[in-house]
Amino acid sequence: MEERFLHLEERRVQLEQRRLELEREHEFRMFGVFAQMLSILKEGSGAAPGPAAPMPWQGLGLAPDYPRGARMPQGPEQMSGVFSELSDPGTKHLQGSAYLSNRGNDIKFKRGVTEEYIEAYFADKYDEDENPNGIINFGISENKLCFDLLSKRLTQSDMHHIEPPLLQYSGWRGHMFLREEMARFLTYYCKAPTPLKPENVTLFNGCISVFSGLATVLCDPGEALMIPTPFYGEISKSIYLYGNVQLVFAHLDSKITETNTRPFQLTVEKLEMALQGARSEGVRVKGLILINPQNPLGDIYSQGELLEYLEFAKRHELHIILDELYMLSVFDESATFHSVLSMDRLPDPQRTHVMWGTSKDFGVSGIRFGALYTENRDVSSAVAKLYFFHGISGITQYQMAQLLRDRDWINQVYLPTNHSRLKAAHTYITDELKTLGIPFLNRNSGLYIWIDLRRYLHMDTFEEELLLCRRFLDNKVLLSCGKGFQCFEPGWFRLVFTDKIHRLRLGMQRIRQALGQQAQELHQKLSVPRQLPEQEGRADGTEEAVFVPRQQGPMGVTKTRDLFGLHHQQTRSSAWMQKGSLEQLTPEQPGALDVLNKLADKQ
Amino acid sequence: MFSIFKQEARGLATSPASSSTQDLGTNCGEGLDSESSEKTDKEPVDFYGLGDPAAEFSQMSPYLSSRGSIIKCFRDAAEEGYKAYHLDEYDEDKNPNGIINFGTSENKLCFDLLSSRLNQRDMHHIEPPMLQYPDWKGHMWLRDEVAKFLSYYCKAPVPLKPENVVVVNGCASLFSALATVLCDPGEAFLIPSPYYGAITQHVYLYGNVRLVYAHLDSRVTGMDCRPFQLTVKKLEIALLGAKSEGINVKGLILINPQNPLGDIYSQERLQEYLEFAKRHELHVIMDEVYMLSVFDESAVFQSVLGMDRLPDPQRTHVIWGTSKDFGISGFRFGTLYTENQDVANAVASLGCLHGICGTVQYQVAQLLRDRDWINQVYLSENHARLRAAYAYITEELETLNIPFLRTKAGFFVWIDLRKYLCSDTFEEEFSLWRRFLHHKVLLSCGKAFECKEPGWFRLVFSDKIHRLRLGMQRIQEVLEKEPQGAKTLSPCQSLEKSSQSR
Repeated sequence: MEERFLHLEERRVQLEQRRLELEREHEFRMFGVFAQMLSILKEGSGAAPGPAAPMPWQGLGLAPDYPRGARMPQGPEQMSGVFSELSDPGTKHLQGSAYLSNRGNDIKFKRGVTEEYIEAYFADKYDEDENPNGIINFGISENKLCFDLLSKRLTQSDMHHIEPPLLQYSGWRGHMFLREEMARFLTYYCKAPTPLKPENVTLFNGCISVFSGLATVLCDPGEALMIPTPFYGEISKSIYLYGNVQLVFAHLDSKITETNTRPFQLTVEKLEMALQGARSEGVRVKGLILINPQNPLGDIYSQGELLEYLEFAKRHELHIILDELYMLSVFDESATFHSVLSMDRLPDPQRTHVMWGTSKDFGVSGIRFGALYTENRDVSSAVAKLYFFHGISGITQYQMAQLLRDRDWINQVYLPTNHSRLKAAHTYITDELKTLGIPFLNRNSGLYIWIDLRRYLHMDTFEEELLLCRRFLDNKVLLSCGKGFQCFEPGWFRLVFTDKIHRLRLGMQRIRQALGQQAQELHQKLSVPRQLPEQEGRADGTEEAVFVPRQQGPMGVTKTRDLFGLHHQQTRSSAWMQKGSLEQLTPEQPGALDVLNKLADKQ
Repeated sequence: MFSIFKQEARGLATSPASSSTQDLGTNCGEGLDSESSEKTDKEPVDFYGLGDPAAEFSQMSPYLSSRGSIIKCFRDAAEEGYKAYHLDEYDEDKNPNGIINFGTSENKLCFDLLSSRLNQRDMHHIEPPMLQYPDWKGHMWLRDEVAKFLSYYCKAPVPLKPENVVVVNGCASLFSALATVLCDPGEAFLIPSPYYGAITQHVYLYGNVRLVYAHLDSRVTGMDCRPFQLTVKKLEIALLGAKSEGINVKGLILINPQNPLGDIYSQERLQEYLEFAKRHELHVIMDEVYMLSVFDESAVFQSVLGMDRLPDPQRTHVIWGTSKDFGISGFRFGTLYTENQDVANAVASLGCLHGICGTVQYQVAQLLRDRDWINQVYLSENHARLRAAYAYITEELETLNIPFLRTKAGFFVWIDLRKYLCSDTFEEEFSLWRRFLHHKVLLSCGKAFECKEPGWFRLVFSDKIHRLRLGMQRIQEVLEKEPQGAKTLSPCQSLEKSSQSR
């Protein structure tokens, strides 16, 4: 007992030291930012164009909330701050409940950036007849184009089958008949060179659960997985809630350079940088998460790229978690999706774990069905122990097996119809975006479009982005803002287009209206109005969207503003800074606060 | 597959005895130090124990985290038996020499009723919201129905509120979520043992929460009017003991009707336990998952939701599900009822990991709302079948001269096979358990319920009569080979009378 206490005490001291270290590092960096600001002010107009010049730490996500205690005696030594930020410190006040544990309070208050907005949507859903002034949902990634097909298929008589085993406990990985069906399905649609094995399949009630399970068995509390940003934000939550696992961000940006031939291109170099950055901060990174087709960008990785990422992971002994949730939602024949399961030889098969589910590709997120495919027996049997908490109803398992085995219906009815509807909706929205002069990434997969509204922001800050998001909501249309995807550049939004045409039309009208208001306000606020699309950036809808980096405007101010935004972001989002905030810093550095305030006035 | 089984059976072989390796009777492990019944039972340390689920952890996988390795190696006896059973299930026609399952607590008596109900037309309804992302507390129409259902069957003095209902995919998920939001890692819940052993992993695997046992025993003393009687004093001692070891106990878990004992707590007793919890500011998690499986009409079940006044409503959380009472454990449906909105909201935050299929939610709602079918068809028939199976099994046990606790609820009898052990150790108990398994009948041994006295077993009787008959034959055959009376005088003789008279 005493030994345990000593051990705990020792850990506490270690953690405290680590925290102080981090605080010092952070202060150091903060002054780096100040110094750069000052030098820019002195120089007047700077030289470098473009948003948010890369900072040394840009590869990392910041902002720890309080890290939760480690759980095992063998737990990790590092608890460093590479937390993905889920809560919105601006609007939420942590007021702990006396009834909950620390982590219980933490969990209760863990909310996505726009969760509040999503709740608003649920309270005031648009309905043609009953609530025509309700909110149009362009925010949640659901395919609402094929309910007719699915409803019909799921109510066919073969779906209504019940036998005793379906009503009993189904073992630890789901029923064998469904695991077999899943293996056949993936073999076929992922074009696996040899048949995939049912033993390697574990079933879950949705892919969020797969993330939770994998994070828990691959990482110890406080350890991390790496992910390129922007990415589907729910992943942060799913690995953190139970697992207490953090994310390290490899930030991608929209600038086109020699190596960055398309906006937000993922390169091994960026992964390397983020990994080194995290390691230098003492964060233990255990794996890399990739989403392919990507959410929210819609990118599909080429075989060559994929191989590079896998080789990178292998080099660093990182697990790779491939989320291929949108693999059948590639709606243009010109695009080809390559599953990792199709590769002849995986660089590190024992560390490659693939997940897929029916939520997106069959538009049935309410069914709660996902699967993990991994050759690694240790991983699959560890994850299977958690099946208890992620079980699927037997009758649902039966129905999913019926669905997946109906290759004729899928190939001849469902997929062609779904793809043509996706394409039509995509065309409609992209045409509208072009008319509005809104740049966007033109991709052929997924249920969403990544759009660039940066020029509608008063300043390049996430507060401004959130305000714009709020304005959309006030105009009764819900969009997801870039912050929700941990995008590094404020001003990007994800627009989900998979809905009926009349809703799309109404939604786009409302967006236009909101942007009109925003533009008007911008003109009032800015003495020098920001340049409009012709000069600032443009989208070419006919080919891959190409972004011309912003060349206009007083450079010095632009850059300072970016820095200011960065500084602001960092101050706002880090827990240790909230404690040792500016006011505490300034006594040691008189004048720093003044400089900052002056800068703020200038914006 | 076969090799997996062998390997896992090996793992099991070492597991129940992990802390005391059987050699020379030096019982040194936590919670195991009271194995011998000759002990005086005077020291408080006898009355409680502290679970250490990571104790069996042995091999580290290069691919897993430390906790991943622990989770992977985590096993309990119930699970192992089930795996063995799964590979060699008895089937009248296809596998008559397969294993008869008296181990898993499932009600197999009413599949006909449930199948026919679930196949009715009203169940096959689909509309878009069921296929879309749900509210993670569950669809409102289902929560409405659950509140009505519980108000009715728990005899709530005032209607229960849908806002206080959170539905998830099974009660295991509720234990996991509650443990996580009520305790920090390393903290603990108090639970009287023996108890449904799976709770250990439910609170530990994700939550890293441990259990402190308030050990009950079979001796009938003046204070205790029945074997394994739960008293506030025993709870106090266990709590005090845990505190003295620096363990932070955040709540008390009670199962009512109890599993594996079958006890139903009287209103007075219940009140005492709740008052105890309130005194110590402990949360109470009431698992009432067998509440409709009280098959003897002379028994009255008192739900905490039926009490006029709860001592500490903000710390009282009730769990119920369809697994046991409707015999559909494969459905994965569980519900939490708590007035505490902090707790409900925190659990709901974890709800995205425990979601239930929308169409299944619809079916559960249809099922729960069909009061006529439940009252006039299902419950009466289910209870009659449970009564018949119980009567058959208990007669058999009496013929075999096996003492057991009489019960009026649940699917199982708690039987006393202590006289068949050569020595009062869990190794002996385990070896008897394995002999049963080799003889193709699966039971659950007391160790799986953290019972502190070796030699108790749980026998699940909710199965068809021909299976019960075959299973009892096999049990008899194993016991006949046992060197009975190896122990000179067993305390069960006295218990035998007392329990059978009950």
